[in-house]
Amino acid sequence: MNMTLAFLVFFPMIGALIGYLIGRKNKSARDYWAMAVTLATFLGALSLVGKDAVLSIPAFCGIGLSFHGDGLRITLATLASFIWFMTTVFSKEYFAHYRNRNRYYFFMLMTLGATLGVFLSADFYTTFIFFEVMSFTSFVLVIQEETDHAVRAAQTYLAVAVIGGLVTLMGLFMMYQMAGTLNFDELAIFCHDLEDKKDFYFVGVLTLVGFGAKAGLFPLHIWLPEAHPVAPAPASALLSCILTKSGVFGMLVLSTKIFIHDAQWGMMILALGVTTMVLGAVLAVFSINLKRTLACSSLSQIGFIATAIGMQGLLGHHNALAAEGTILHLANHSLLKLTLFMSAGVVYMNLHKLDLNEIRGWGRDKKLLKFIFLMGVLGITGVPLWNGYISKTLIHESIVEYIHILADAGQSTTLFTIIEWLFLFSGGLTVAYMTKLFVAVFMEKNPYPETLHGHDHGPYMNKLSSVVLLISALILPVIGMLPYNTQNVLAEFCLDFMGAHPPDHAVHYFIWINLKGAVISIAIGAAVYFLFIRQVLMVKDANGNKVYVDRWPEWFSIENKIYRPLLLSGLPFVGGFFARLAGSLTDGLISILRMLIFNDDNGRVVPPEDKYFSAYTDFEADHEMYREGFATSLLLIGIGLTIATVYIMI
Amino acid sequence: MSGNVLLLLPMILPFIFGLIIGFQKEEKQRNTLVFIAMAVEAALVWYLCMGDHAAVLWTLTDRLSIAYHTDGLAKFFACLISTIWLIVAVFSMEYIKHEKNPSRFFMFYTFSLAALMSLCFSENMMTLYLSYEFMTVLTVPLVIHAGTPEAVSAGLKYLGYSIFGAGLGLMGFFFLNTYCDTTSFIAGGTLNMALIEGRENMMLIVFFLMILGFGCKAGMFPLHAWLPTAHPVAPSPASAVLSGIITKGGVIAIIRVTYYLFGADFLRGSWAQMAVLTLSVITIFMGSMLAYKEKHLKRRLAYSTVSNVSYVVFGLMLLCPAGFMGALLQVVFHAVAKNILFLCAGAIIYKAHKTMVADLVGIGKEMPVVMWTFTIAALSLIGIPPTAGFVSKWYLAQGGLMPEMGAIGFIGVAVLMVSALLTAGYLMSIVMKGFFPGKSFDYASLKVKEPNYLMTVPLVLLAAAVVGMGILPAPLLDVIGGISGMIF
Repeated sequence: MNMTLAFLVFFPMIGALIGYLIGRKNKSARDYWAMAVTLATFLGALSLVGKDAVLSIPAFCGIGLSFHGDGLRITLATLASFIWFMTTVFSKEYFAHYRNRNRYYFFMLMTLGATLGVFLSADFYTTFIFFEVMSFTSFVLVIQEETDHAVRAAQTYLAVAVIGGLVTLMGLFMMYQMAGTLNFDELAIFCHDLEDKKDFYFVGVLTLVGFGAKAGLFPLHIWLPEAHPVAPAPASALLSCILTKSGVFGMLVLSTKIFIHDAQWGMMILALGVTTMVLGAVLAVFSINLKRTLACSSLSQIGFIATAIGMQGLLGHHNALAAEGTILHLANHSLLKLTLFMSAGVVYMNLHKLDLNEIRGWGRDKKLLKFIFLMGVLGITGVPLWNGYISKTLIHESIVEYIHILADAGQSTTLFTIIEWLFLFSGGLTVAYMTKLFVAVFMEKNPYPETLHGHDHGPYMNKLSSVVLLISALILPVIGMLPYNTQNVLAEFCLDFMGAHPPDHAVHYFIWINLKGAVISIAIGAAVYFLFIRQVLMVKDANGNKVYVDRWPEWFSIENKIYRPLLLSGLPFVGGFFARLAGSLTDGLISILRMLIFNDDNGRVVPPEDKYFSAYTDFEADHEMYREGFATSLLLIGIGLTIATVYIMI
Repeated sequence: MSGNVLLLLPMILPFIFGLIIGFQKEEKQRNTLVFIAMAVEAALVWYLCMGDHAAVLWTLTDRLSIAYHTDGLAKFFACLISTIWLIVAVFSMEYIKHEKNPSRFFMFYTFSLAALMSLCFSENMMTLYLSYEFMTVLTVPLVIHAGTPEAVSAGLKYLGYSIFGAGLGLMGFFFLNTYCDTTSFIAGGTLNMALIEGRENMMLIVFFLMILGFGCKAGMFPLHAWLPTAHPVAPSPASAVLSGIITKGGVIAIIRVTYYLFGADFLRGSWAQMAVLTLSVITIFMGSMLAYKEKHLKRRLAYSTVSNVSYVVFGLMLLCPAGFMGALLQVVFHAVAKNILFLCAGAIIYKAHKTMVADLVGIGKEMPVVMWTFTIAALSLIGIPPTAGFVSKWYLAQGGLMPEMGAIGFIGVAVLMVSALLTAGYLMSIVMKGFFPGKSFDYASLKVKEPNYLMTVPLVLLAAAVVGMGILPAPLLDVIGGISGMIF
């Protein structure tokens, strides 16, 4: 029993309540309190590194909770609480002029506790409980600004979360019914011993839906590009860095514990992953909104992670590279998006705009922010010496390895060669859209400089925020340049969870064969940027200045064309029709009978011959008459009953 | 009269108190009296439920008597009902100020409790039937309290449906009187198998009709139609108990008939079981769907009750321990959550004078405490952990997915999920509009309209119960486990 685990999950929730009470009296104290809570949580998580902590709380919510802090789970918890701490410190300046801040802080800390509950869980019951709590509390973070866009995006978010959650719950019901347990390790054994896995695949897919939706996997990704841009920047950072990863955690449990080394399952995840990877990157290229581009980029990066998870299943026992790639890309993406979303937050904090045409050139003279953003760009595009390169290389290598295995076995390698190229192509698009952002915000001159007048004069961010951003940014090259001392250690720490062994031979990151992938991607990226983005996605406006245009066809949206019409009008119409039919069946029969027997007088039943039938007539005179009649009847009944009773008793 | 006279007190006390309350014109005195009556009653019931008692009020023949006992099921329902009755009474003290004739309301409110206690403690079918009719008759004045033409016609509809349903039940009792060893309720059933040899199908028809009849009170299709008519017109505290508690009167009767007269073994796998399951699944979907389409707040909640009480019927008809467990948990959780929702609706009517869902934009800013409790209750009805509704749904689903239940069980659980989604649709939309009115909301003219403690304290207590029971359901699970241990 390790009480630190309980501390990690419940302390932020208690802290949320205390913070709320403090916030009613003193806003500044509340901000510092929130920082203290997140810092304490981070230190708590850090103290568990290297330990194997177990905790179960029986009878909680019926079946009871169980937590297990092993390598991967502690890593995730540490990462989450670190990012939470950084964004909380940044929030102080960002939210300085916001309404409803107390609400934000309350739900932000609640979400932290719930997220850690998900990451540290040892069975699906625990996962699900905290997953649902997290969905609902983070909903408030999305809707925080309450603009029309925010409300709409939050609706989408909640709808996807609720629907996904319910489908997952259905899967868990069935899983529990079949296996009699929801503990990850016991489920893995159960699944291993299962002869016919067909039914269990179905259960697994149901369970996957909620997690996949949260991670942003196609086709349930719709909430992500909507919700991230409208949330306040610290919240979008949390959504993108951590909350999506809770979905990935669920996928990891399913793919690397329960369906471990399962090629069919791996193929399915791979297909979803590759689709999401390409789709997200394409959407990001088209987007002309700073945070929306970053959100679509998250989508794409989650696709990379899912691709790696899929490769783990396909590679079976030789999946060390894929497993390391999974966990490292997960961690790297979180760190990268922390830097990028907070930088975007600085832009928004000053200008209250996100459209690339309007914020264009704002960062030209802001050296520090330019440097910070550049670190993020270099990291996420997979430039060697920055962190993203390491994890992308590992994932790429795992695909190449599988192609070799297929070739050795004499099977067709076409499909996986295509996947390899899609992988490199998505990497190239990453380069293209990140260049687009960087050039637009930090290099180009704005043809209409009047749009750049912010609300505040004075420095564009305060010291505290600068420090937070700088630290987040400096981590990226440091762990990118020292991969053997940092990233490899982290990866090996986590391999156990995924049932993978350390690779047979160390990967040499900085040799030509591995650098080649990065070079190809950068070349594709340069081509896309100069030939497509600058030519097709920018046009000359009336004054002859080149501006960014959104060329993504508006009608092409699964959300608006399929999901919303189906769920808001189509299905409710059909369901409502049958429900009304059933609902009015009895009343209908009765009114038919009534028509046959009675006259319908003002909605009341009055027999044709007897207008005194009902006590409640409208005429005063009738009232009197009836009251007397009623009283007499009651009296007579009473007397009769008394006589009868006396007779029987005697 | 024989047995422990103390057990008769829960039935007699409210009548005496009710008569006194009915003639109290002074508000303060009346409120004190109501509180004392309810508190004494609740204390008495809880005390009685600590031990085992039995009492016979009156014996007509050896098979027909008015007799009471405190078996597990009786204790379970009696404690639940008397406690909630007390809490809602406190809320009513404030609410009733804007209705006419408060004395009359409290008189019948108190009377109804007597009928309900009689129903809970009833030991045989005659007592059950009489209490059931009493319950109907005594709650009609609560429905028609406002005296408007709609209220009166709704009251008549309620009366008509209930009497018809009870009539079906009575008919069933005539049959059972012949084919049962005894008319008392015995865990596991009292059917005389030798007598019904060759008449099984007739008995199943009888069973089906009885459940249909008693299902009327529980709002089960096809006799559900009184519910959405009667609940909205009643004063809110009355609709709260109608929805949360009186519907459970039907559930008590269904449990007694199914598990204490027919017995689960006789019914398991029969067409009657399937038929009732099908009806309950239809009701679950229909209620939620109509609630989703409804625009009047209280009527929406009434449709939601139609759906939610059928969760209970579904669980009971699975005839397995997990289903039974889920059903009884749902009884408690729904009673508490639905009371919160109707009381919130009452507080909104009382303070903000709003009845339509569309008018509730920004209501969370005006009445934060009320809407917070509303939110918690809503989450529980959807079944979001860690609120209580999640736990009951868990057990219901485990029962429904038992391999021997086959397709109907699976469909039932799937419909439970769809219904949960619809519940999210019709309740969370209110919460969302209430707390997040959007940029166009006029904060300047915002006035906090929070009601006073007489209204908020009951709400907060109930909301705390929803979360508390969700986090630590173990004591409740033990109690229900004890009951189900007896009957399976």
